[in-house]
Amino acid sequence: MSETNAPNTNPIDDVAVRQALDGLRREIRLRFPSTPDVSPAPPERAVLPPASSERIDWMELFDTVRRRVSALGMSERSGEVDEFGMDEVVLRQARPLLDLLHDRYWRIELHDSGRVPSGASLLVANRSGLLPYDGLMLSHALARANRERDRPRFLVADWLNTLPFVQPYLARLGGVRACRENAERLLSSGRAVIAFPEGQKGAAKVFRERYRLQRFGRGGVVRVALESGVPLVPVGIVGPEEAHPILFKWGTPARMVGLPFLPVTPTFPLLGPLGSLPLPTKWVIRVGDPIDLEDLAPDAATDELLISRLTEELRARVQQLVDAALADRSSVWD
Amino acid sequence: MSAPGVIAITGLGSFLGRALMERLLLRSPTVRVVGIGRRRPFRLDSRVRFHRVDLTDPAADGRVAEVFFRERVEAVVHTAFRSEPTADIEADHELETIGSLYVLNACEAAKVKRLVVVSSTMLYGARPDNPNFLSEFHPLRGHPDAHSIQNRVEAESLIANWSLRNPDTEVTVLRNGWIFGPTYRDHIVRYFALPVVPKLMGYDPLMQCVHEDDCVHALETATLYPHPGVFNVVGRGVFPLSTMLRLAGKRILSLPPPLLYRMAYYPSQGQTGDPPQGFYDYLRYLWVADGQRGWDAFGEPIYTSREAWMAFVTSRRMRRYR
Repeated sequence: MSETNAPNTNPIDDVAVRQALDGLRREIRLRFPSTPDVSPAPPERAVLPPASSERIDWMELFDTVRRRVSALGMSERSGEVDEFGMDEVVLRQARPLLDLLHDRYWRIELHDSGRVPSGASLLVANRSGLLPYDGLMLSHALARANRERDRPRFLVADWLNTLPFVQPYLARLGGVRACRENAERLLSSGRAVIAFPEGQKGAAKVFRERYRLQRFGRGGVVRVALESGVPLVPVGIVGPEEAHPILFKWGTPARMVGLPFLPVTPTFPLLGPLGSLPLPTKWVIRVGDPIDLEDLAPDAATDELLISRLTEELRARVQQLVDAALADRSSVWD
Repeated sequence: MSAPGVIAITGLGSFLGRALMERLLLRSPTVRVVGIGRRRPFRLDSRVRFHRVDLTDPAADGRVAEVFFRERVEAVVHTAFRSEPTADIEADHELETIGSLYVLNACEAAKVKRLVVVSSTMLYGARPDNPNFLSEFHPLRGHPDAHSIQNRVEAESLIANWSLRNPDTEVTVLRNGWIFGPTYRDHIVRYFALPVVPKLMGYDPLMQCVHEDDCVHALETATLYPHPGVFNVVGRGVFPLSTMLRLAGKRILSLPPPLLYRMAYYPSQGQTGDPPQGFYDYLRYLWVADGQRGWDAFGEPIYTSREAWMAFVTSRRMRRYR
């Protein structure tokens, strides 16, 4: 006469209950697509229709395939973007890749990040390479160094807006088209903005001319800083030039595709798209002392000579930082 | 000029014209509304005096001026634009550009004190070199392939020149973003109502909407109170096109642009008279307008862009549950 307090462990009931719970869980996940705080649904067991003689539900099959394919893209995002298109969820998903590029691939060293003033400031750096890896990495490095501040936004060239696939990603990761209105609006909302005044000329430097800064535009950067009343911070980046060593520029096929020029690197047209991957050089980023423009007269924005002189001084400071970093490094790879 | 007592609305058959008329009639018993259009609307309030004038008629400006004189019109609201482009390009041009010219001539002859014109932020043009927020001072570049947009760009330049020649008239131009809401219908709304929505592969611009109620409210405020100048009437906030389609639960068909343009060429020519680029470029590049001037002038919109879009989406969902 032994009383067992064990629950009824009829194995059939357990399995049935478990299956029912699984089905319920799956059903919930299907009806309520995953929010950022919920981990993504476990992969479904079968994409193909069951082997039994059930009718194939084509729309459901289409939906399943579509869901799997779109999961490869940006579909797990919240869709909440700020007014310039930056998406926190995409950033969070891209963070492992960005951290990998920062720590292991390019081994970026950021010196004197404390010199970046709090609040709005206009960081000015040298430009290298067609794709804005330098802007993206500088923004990421600064965001990691100063976690409590807003992520700095980087300005990208116009023609990148015409490229498919690149255009949405750049905006979601914090890139903004380089123009005066955008820069002024970003600065007036108190953010740090990274500008590359060399522009196309800087991006198109061939390997021979690496790290020699081209003309810094027509003074637009200084004018924006004067009118918005923000300090200018020179930044020198060493490393991206060798990541994409452009041997020479090929014009004719580029114009057919819509690019300004087609860069010929040791790997690019030879190895196809794989050759456009950047090389794992070591990057060093040096931040210089900010140039404060507050003590200038209020109508300085109309003084062309002053602007031109300030632009030249800015260029000299960035060149100084770049040269110091070049002198310090022993090799391109470490 | 204080609130106008007699308001003429051209294009009473259009959504904005009709909605404005209803609001004005509700607002006060003393306001008189004069309607000008091609066809008398079916259920017209008895307080509205309707005059049948076809704006494409060569003598239309004289007839409209006569109506303005007879009714002693103080404010004119010009909403006589096609809600969607038709395949008949000449007729569209006659109505939208030449028709506007006739209305302007009539306003000049009748010495009307206030003129309000509705327009669209699509006139800025969707270009890769647009700034992220287009202010009202940005030039109207339009789209070279979309004939109705070019007509309206021309109409806006006529209005701008006319307002310089007639400084006594307060001219307000309201540029509305894409209007979404429970009742508004045009070819853009029809595109978003498709069950499977074709989209350009690789492009995901930020989009902006305005709710139909906010649009009509801005129009009403511009009619009754003096707000001379150009204003962008848009909702707050932007969101990507893919988010828009995902919120509506649409099945998206992503096609590379050359393939999509080839496939959509004949349907597009048949329905809108334009090649597909005239519409799809607005789903390709950025054309978000800065609405701060409009919000300062007409007040905060009740619906943000996202809420306006969701109002449209939920209204369509309710349609399925009958």
